[in-house]
Amino acid sequence: MKFQEFTKGIIKNNAVFALALGLCPTLAITTSVENALGMSLAFAFVLISSNLIISALKRFIPQEVRIPCFIVIIASLVTAIDLFIHGYSPTLYEHLGIFLPLIVVNCIILGRAEAFASKHSVSDTFLDAAGVSVGFALAIISVSAIRELLGSGTIVIFGHEVVPAFTSSPAVVMLLPPGAFLTIGILLALLKRAKVI
Amino acid sequence: MSKSSVLDVIKSKSVVVLTLICLITGGMLAVTYNLTRERIAEAEQAEINQALSEIFPSAEFVEENDYYMALENGELIGYAMIVEGRGFGGKIKAAIGIRLDGTIQRVRVISHSETPGLGSKVAGDEFLAQFEGKTLEELKLKKEGGEIDAVTGATISSRAVVDIVREELQKMMGRLAEAQE
Repeated sequence: MKFQEFTKGIIKNNAVFALALGLCPTLAITTSVENALGMSLAFAFVLISSNLIISALKRFIPQEVRIPCFIVIIASLVTAIDLFIHGYSPTLYEHLGIFLPLIVVNCIILGRAEAFASKHSVSDTFLDAAGVSVGFALAIISVSAIRELLGSGTIVIFGHEVVPAFTSSPAVVMLLPPGAFLTIGILLALLKRAKVI
Repeated sequence: MSKSSVLDVIKSKSVVVLTLICLITGGMLAVTYNLTRERIAEAEQAEINQALSEIFPSAEFVEENDYYMALENGELIGYAMIVEGRGFGGKIKAAIGIRLDGTIQRVRVISHSETPGLGSKVAGDEFLAQFEGKTLEELKLKKEGGEIDAVTGATISSRAVVDIVREELQKMMGRLAEAQE
């Protein structure tokens, strides 16, 4: 087990900012910090569990059919998780329900399965998946904090006002798709400029 | 062993493994579906009951064809129905309460798949509170001559909810007029 497998995915190889993967959910759901938290949780759960399964099965899966195998495993897992949460925790489903179908189209999951889990041990895969999850969470939470702050003029997380409303006329464009591109573009430029990634 | 038969073995191994994986995951999904089916149905029924009791808080509901009659101390105070319509991102399921005078008592969105953060606001109290007391003529978006403010950036989702409610109200009023004749 190498601890750097955990840390590399957080900042240096950050999925969103360094690898430009998973931009579709990042653009779509970062309109509030609450959404980003829900997505981070659901994402971490699916990424860790699907990549552990794929890593455990890597010797069994032939090279030429690996992609369909990965997709079948990931999609079935997401569906099963969706059904379980819906049945056993309706309140959690209310918050996470809309994010779970979005995870199927999240290319980071398939990307890590292909690039890491299918070539490394189960323990290293766990560290890698956990690190990538933390990196993804950091990325979408920072983007959503900027967008919610400017676009709604406040930050509300599960009913608690973290930043009280400071303006009555927020820049609603930040909540719309252009705001997502602007925020991600400027953050990316700043991170490159500061040589963080 | 000739070259082609080696190829055949490789091919057949991939076929076998992929088939196995599909069978196993398919089987697991079937088991999960069966394990959770009843609980999901219960959760959905609980959601419907919750939405109905939010619309007419102190009423009892009697199911009648495809709508509910809301009774308070045995007296009819309004109607409620669960309806589905098309939104921007998929189906929108809503509970609608109608008063005896043909105005809207309250609207609750039970489930939807609108864009998180934008269209999803049509399920929020701020948007839905506008429906209370509205008549059939007022149930249009403001830019279309009605009385309902659309959610910023989510005109299609807003219009979808307004249309679902208006159509249902129209249908219900038609049915009541028929019953009176």
